[in-house]
Amino acid sequence: MSTSTIEKTVHKGNASGGGLARRQNFLTGLVGGIIFAWLFWWIARLVGDQSSRSFSDLTATSVTLGWLFGFWLGIGALNGPFRWLIGRDQTREDQLYYAGENLGVSRYWKFTTDHKVVGVQYIVMTMVLLGAGGILAMAIRTNLITPGNHFVNQQVYNSFISMHGMLMILGMIVAVAGPWANFVVPIMVGARDMAFPRLNALSLWTLVAAAALLLTTLAVGGLPVGWVILAPITNQAGVGMDFFAMAIVVFTVSTTVAGVNTLATVVKMRTKGMTFTRLPIFVWGSIIAAALGLYAFPYFLLAEVLQLMDRNFQTSFYVASGGGTGWLQANLFWMMGHPEVYVILLPAVGAIFEIAAVMSRKPVFSYKTAVGGMVALAGLSILVWAHHMFTTGWAPTLGGPFMLTTELISIPTGIFFLVLIATMWRGNVWFRLPTLWVYGFIFDFVIGGVTGIYLSDIPIDNQFHGTMFVTAHFHYVFAGSVLFGAVAALAFWYPKVTGRFLNETMGRISFGLTFIGIQVTFISMFLSGLKGMPRRYSSYSMLFEHTNFITTIGGYTIMAGMLVLLAAVITSWKHGEASGPNPWHANSLEWMVPTPVPLENFDVLPVITEDPYNFAEKVDH
Amino acid sequence: MSLDDTISTHSEGHDHGHHEAPEVVDSRERFGVWLFIAGDMVTLGAIWFTYLYMRGTNTDGHWMSMLGYQGHSYAWYENALNSSAGLPAATTIHVGPMSAGLIWLVALVVAVSAGIIWWAEKLLRESKNAKAFSNIALLGTVVVLLAVILSIVQLRHIPSIFVANNDSQVMAYTGYSSAMMMIIGVSMVHFIILAFLGLGLAIRSARGAITGEKWFQARLVRIFWVWVAISTLVTTLLTVMVNKL
Amino acid sequence: MSQSENKKSLVGFYWTWGILTVVGVVIGLWAPGRFMPASMSGNMHLSILTIQVFTVCAAPVAAGIYAATLHNIRHDRWRGEGVPPAAEAVRGNTTLVSAWLIASSVLTVFLLVWGLGALAVDNSSTGKNPLVVDVTGQQWLWTFHYAGTDVNTTQLVLPENREVQFRITSDDVTHGFWIAQMAVQVDANAGVFTEIHTTPDKLGTFDIRCTQFCGLNHSSMVTTGEVVSPQNFQKWLTSQPATI
Repeated sequence: MSTSTIEKTVHKGNASGGGLARRQNFLTGLVGGIIFAWLFWWIARLVGDQSSRSFSDLTATSVTLGWLFGFWLGIGALNGPFRWLIGRDQTREDQLYYAGENLGVSRYWKFTTDHKVVGVQYIVMTMVLLGAGGILAMAIRTNLITPGNHFVNQQVYNSFISMHGMLMILGMIVAVAGPWANFVVPIMVGARDMAFPRLNALSLWTLVAAAALLLTTLAVGGLPVGWVILAPITNQAGVGMDFFAMAIVVFTVSTTVAGVNTLATVVKMRTKGMTFTRLPIFVWGSIIAAALGLYAFPYFLLAEVLQLMDRNFQTSFYVASGGGTGWLQANLFWMMGHPEVYVILLPAVGAIFEIAAVMSRKPVFSYKTAVGGMVALAGLSILVWAHHMFTTGWAPTLGGPFMLTTELISIPTGIFFLVLIATMWRGNVWFRLPTLWVYGFIFDFVIGGVTGIYLSDIPIDNQFHGTMFVTAHFHYVFAGSVLFGAVAALAFWYPKVTGRFLNETMGRISFGLTFIGIQVTFISMFLSGLKGMPRRYSSYSMLFEHTNFITTIGGYTIMAGMLVLLAAVITSWKHGEASGPNPWHANSLEWMVPTPVPLENFDVLPVITEDPYNFAEKVDH
Repeated sequence: MSLDDTISTHSEGHDHGHHEAPEVVDSRERFGVWLFIAGDMVTLGAIWFTYLYMRGTNTDGHWMSMLGYQGHSYAWYENALNSSAGLPAATTIHVGPMSAGLIWLVALVVAVSAGIIWWAEKLLRESKNAKAFSNIALLGTVVVLLAVILSIVQLRHIPSIFVANNDSQVMAYTGYSSAMMMIIGVSMVHFIILAFLGLGLAIRSARGAITGEKWFQARLVRIFWVWVAISTLVTTLLTVMVNKL
Repeated sequence: MSQSENKKSLVGFYWTWGILTVVGVVIGLWAPGRFMPASMSGNMHLSILTIQVFTVCAAPVAAGIYAATLHNIRHDRWRGEGVPPAAEAVRGNTTLVSAWLIASSVLTVFLLVWGLGALAVDNSSTGKNPLVVDVTGQQWLWTFHYAGTDVNTTQLVLPENREVQFRITSDDVTHGFWIAQMAVQVDANAGVFTEIHTTPDKLGTFDIRCTQFCGLNHSSMVTTGEVVSPQNFQKWLTSQPATI
């Protein structure tokens, strides 16, 4: 369609499609969620047994279920299933309405199926989750600036550390895969949308519903249990725990649906000639992570369902006096928890490879080795979960085998460094914003990786487990590496989303602050750990005074860097330097379509004859 | 490489509505169903792990027995507390395995419903009779609803133990009872999904959205239905054969 | 072009690699002694030694990656105007990939063999007349019972050079029992006993810190213990009031 027709019909949508969805948006979802939450609360109080010790838990769980159902109903997530049930399928006009045709900005507030809209919504969700987690991080660090500081009281502090952990983990899970597996992967493989557009919108809005439950946790008693939600201390928490557990149940639904969608899109919707060896490497990172997520998250789902049953129905899964054990929770949690690390890491690694190749004007070095490394890492990651449990006392005889599988992870991780450096080696490296964050990723990931070797060794883990050393290690992996990968991806694909560059100056300032902040924060945190400071302490011995002060200063620096980045993202959206459709002169398909990308991406589906890493012919033009 | 080299004319893409062949859509949706089944398999594996882990650990010998009282009447507890005699001495209560007959019956009912749906799909593809298909799909739905009812009966028969102290009363389930509640509950959620899908098949075929030519969705539902029946059967084998210590 | 000749010279890269390796090794050998608590048991000696060995192994790898990255930033950076031209396409190098895989595998196998050996030593017990201490964690306190006696105390006193076996459980939620100077750590779980053992080999005080989040006053669940001579230990033990 031409630009003029868009202008004429903006905010109206097409004439006939949509049905009920014409009146549904985020606001009706919110209203529906609140009404049903209240309704379920009222029913639970009416029929519930007030004398039961789980009365408050049953009420809280009902509220969460009511919220989810009402939100889904209000925003229009249930329109499709209902119309399927009664045999009145959506017409082409309906589908176009749901895809947001001619809806203008309002489509970002609706149950919109267009993968590009969902991608942008995921960018916002990522910033909300990481922003909330970041604010809590600042509160934690402020509390720890001196040994006996009580910036927040102890109970609130304990809630903050758990919520910081969970918000950041969930934010990291969606940080790269959410925005970019949605926005660019379908275009990269030559598809007009994701395989299941309605499920795509469902996964996004279900994540919103989960995030709302998670943040509400803080208002209903908090989550003073630590982010690994180890049973049985979870049984001492108030109804915040029910909200949290349901948030996780809802979140796993969201990620499972999203993972199925990504996999089906890549496996079933590649355009002609797009063989698996011609896929941009980011697509590989995305689908391996999606497959791994499909494996990992059911464990988390079950772990939290059992938690809810223990609290609501008096079962004994995690209660020793009833025949259960906290080790069951620990096993289920880490069977999810370790693969989940790679669900987070692999899309970032894929994006880093992609950016490194384009920016150094060279193909990805040894493409098949790179893909093999990612597959090997995903495969190994499901066999290493008990290294998180070396010191729990569970199955000491399995220590050796789990040490073996864990240390084997060094080999595929090493492959990543080889591929990355050999890709950029002797290239013509274009020093733009994404490139800086790639170098930052390399620097931090070396430290994150090397310190992991110590922790995989049981005699050392007996000393380091449960100390700040572990905290610093995984922050180098997440904040140091994955976050840098996510920002590199943001800087790289931002022009495709907005048609404008992310402000280079502000981006560089942000990089400088964040990079220095990460080193200051987490190297001093390593020292706290070496000195023997345990994790999750709200006050600590004078021994750890200096290192903690430095950590807090470093933490503020990271926050400053992130705020500059946020400012850059917001100001460049409307006022950034225009970029054109292919600012990096890359060859993969997302750069071949116009910016802004038309509703169905391609007017004519392309035929692919080679992989996107042949930069040579470009020079001749 | 220039844009023209990468993007050449592609005949299938040329119709302006960007319409896709039903076979293409079906192949994609079938793949999606298999992916969801894969996720469900992991869930089933996690459930098996939980069941076997609890049985193997048997903390304090509470897999099937617990110190306490049978039943959990609040009035009884209040009376006992207020009487001069106080609470009677707690005894070890053995809950014993749940009725294997009932567990097998649920699995059988679901297997029969899966058979009905499979037969209906076969009939639709061969005889193209959407009317008959609608009726048979409705029958399958009714049968799976029977499984839902039987599951509720099972849930009501899970024995709880009443553990009382001088200042509190606590109802609790042993490890085995907890695990059974989980398995029956998760199965029931699956049966309810099947009932929704079966009802959809019946209504849609009655209204012409599923016909002898457009039968792909019947197969999608059948694939998932058969998977649920199989997973119910294997879980039944586990809980019936591996429960005592 | 001078830039392309610069690209081929690797002298700077080797120098950087060498210097960074030396720096890494020196830091790795120095830092544990400087920052970690003073060792009071064989387990702690072993942990520190293992940290040093692993650092020596990891230093050349990390230094190599950093040196290569620095070399790349310095020599491969595009300094011209506009879009950089394509660089020579290198799609693979079987020799390099194989060498890298073999080298990283050899290193991993070494770490593994060392680790499994260290684990065996770490777990080995002298089996000679160990002192058995029952440790009970509760919110937010450790209680110690000396097996074979009626002594229950909140202060842990251990004799020098005698193996101690800790049998650990919890009265409520999960706690983490860790002696920061002895590199022994295990969780205290309700309903089960977990065991660790160590042999204190130095007189002095040590720190016990809870390493598993256990609720409101988790950060207060810290206490100190003391290693004393065997004679003083007997004196101390007999002077304790018997409690049940």
